[in-house]
Amino acid sequence: MRVLLVEDEMRLAANIVAGLREAGFAVDHAADGLEGSQYAEQDLFDLIVLDLMLPGRDGKGVLRSLRQKGILTPVLILTAQEGKTPIIELLNCGADDYLAKPFDLGELIARIKALIRRSKGAASPQIHVADLQIDTVRQTVTRGAQVIDLSPTEYRILEYLAHKPRAIVSKKQLLEHLYDYDWEHHSNVIEAHISNLRRKLTQPGSEPIIETLRYRGYRLRTEDWR
Amino acid sequence: MTTNASITRRLTVSILLLELFAALALITTVTNHERHVRFETFDANLRGTCNALLGAVQEADSKDGSVQLDLTGMSFPSRAIYRVTVDNGQILGARGTLPSISVIPGSVTRTKVQDRPFRFYMLKGERVIDPGSPGAVNHHVTVIYGVPEGDTWHAVFEEARFFSIATVALLGITTLLISWLIRRFLLPIRELAHEAEKVSAERWTFHAPDSSKRFVELRPLASAIEKALARLEGSFQQQRRFTSDAAHEIKTDLAIIKSSVQLLSMRRRTVEEYEQGLILGLEDIGRLESTIQKMLALARLEQGPKADRETSDLAEIVEDVIVQSQPYADIKEVEVITENLQIGVEVLLDREDAMMLFSNVLLNALQHSSTNGLVKISMMTDRETVVLRIRDYGEGISEEDRPFLFDAFYRGDASRSRKSGGTGLGLSICKAICDRAGGSIGIANHPDGGAEVEIRFPIFSRIARAT
Repeated sequence: MRVLLVEDEMRLAANIVAGLREAGFAVDHAADGLEGSQYAEQDLFDLIVLDLMLPGRDGKGVLRSLRQKGILTPVLILTAQEGKTPIIELLNCGADDYLAKPFDLGELIARIKALIRRSKGAASPQIHVADLQIDTVRQTVTRGAQVIDLSPTEYRILEYLAHKPRAIVSKKQLLEHLYDYDWEHHSNVIEAHISNLRRKLTQPGSEPIIETLRYRGYRLRTEDWR
Repeated sequence: MTTNASITRRLTVSILLLELFAALALITTVTNHERHVRFETFDANLRGTCNALLGAVQEADSKDGSVQLDLTGMSFPSRAIYRVTVDNGQILGARGTLPSISVIPGSVTRTKVQDRPFRFYMLKGERVIDPGSPGAVNHHVTVIYGVPEGDTWHAVFEEARFFSIATVALLGITTLLISWLIRRFLLPIRELAHEAEKVSAERWTFHAPDSSKRFVELRPLASAIEKALARLEGSFQQQRRFTSDAAHEIKTDLAIIKSSVQLLSMRRRTVEEYEQGLILGLEDIGRLESTIQKMLALARLEQGPKADRETSDLAEIVEDVIVQSQPYADIKEVEVITENLQIGVEVLLDREDAMMLFSNVLLNALQHSSTNGLVKISMMTDRETVVLRIRDYGEGISEEDRPFLFDAFYRGDASRSRKSGGTGLGLSICKAICDRAGGSIGIANHPDGGAEVEIRFPIFSRIARAT
């Protein structure tokens, strides 16, 4: 999952970026409102974390222009402001959630996950796909009682595909959502990750769980949906 | 202390008292006058009746050469007393008991008869029998006539009573009218108060009602309230903004510290990572600490003039500050030069505040200087004032920012970007220090580029020192 953080306070931004990356997100960072708007309008992100008080253009302005352009990416607002009125106003402007500073990094990550889950149409942190069980909180994949050991990138690919069952996900799309701004550098390794994932997940003698559609992308097999 | 003193009541009472005094004076005057006029008439009547009595002697036919009193056609008041005598005391006619008094002829004498005040008049005349004839006889006739004063006094008192009743009635009507009028006249004040009552911390708008603007006497009050409220609103909003900005600042610093620690504890890390995290965490705490210290300094400075009277030598302070900030100047490769620094000019400022003031200003100048730049500090004095100018050769300040530069947390950017590292409190602290010492601080762009801070202080004393 790829998250955009718009925050001008550098030390805070560094901490959030590091925390989110450790939680398995690809994170891009914009330090002011204008840059934030530019990034956000590319519509590459699964979620935007938006600080309110920003140089250039304030958080509310960013949010408003985003929603006007029809971009529906969930937005979580970070605010150090007092009072409920601005929060009500923000939620009415199209924000999906907010956290007041000083917030809990763990809570931020949990809320980001929940928002992404809901925006992908899933309410539970557990995703069932074929005979696999994906726990998006602990980031583990199990088949029955057996835990399948995946690398962080492999897990992220699987989770992203699992959020879009039956849909064809292009390689570019996968790259954009799994990596931050320098995703193009990773384009050569994506096939390797997919092939490793397929090898780890597919049981001997059965169809591979991830299909490759030439020139089009990848798809999770759908027959065994529970 | 609250009393129930009321303007309406006081005015009414004052007016009524005045009116009462005026009425009393009027009644006294009128009564006096009335008494005077009545008694003049009274005396004229006395004289007239005496003359009539004398006439009654003179006109009466004489019998056998003796003198007669003919009272036909005459009437007397019920208690009137008279006696008409001739020559040797022969009484021609009398009524009532005449007291034994000496009455001067031709004048009115007052006396009491049976405890009643009377007025008597005596008239002496002659009755000539057979005038013109050689055998004419001259008789001397004495007439004494007296009437009680009582009736006239009664009439005078009646008059006074009438005036008194009229006055009481007038006072009653005045009371009603005056209190109604005063109430009417005070209505605009009550409307003004009612409008002022609506003002609260949430609602500062105050429009003086038209009624209060109509009266010359109320206009200054209405406009004073308007101005005072506008000022109060300004300072209240400033205070509120300060609180909210301060909260924002502290929360942001706390958010950094909290996220640093939480990031560190997300998973097990190497000793190096922990060490690095601790160093960063300490830096973050240092920033919070300095923010709080500055806020406390500002709060202390804004608490009003201090009681102690410590003085500092400005030039010494400036030199100390330059030495102190040398490392930063070296990093920025900026040269700090001084011009005309005069040792011995003392201002009413304690050393700690003076150091804080000049180091803030100098650091600001250094921060805005470009590499290889210059900061110039010059000093000028006249008899009463010392002026210090700190000039940098940076990009100067924007005219937009100028009015707000001394506002707390203002950073020359609507977003209050913290990138420059300042808390946005430095210049507010400087202003508070200057205000407190009776001085002033201003900032402007120098015509030849760069910004120039000008600090003025009243000179407290000059001390000649060997340097």
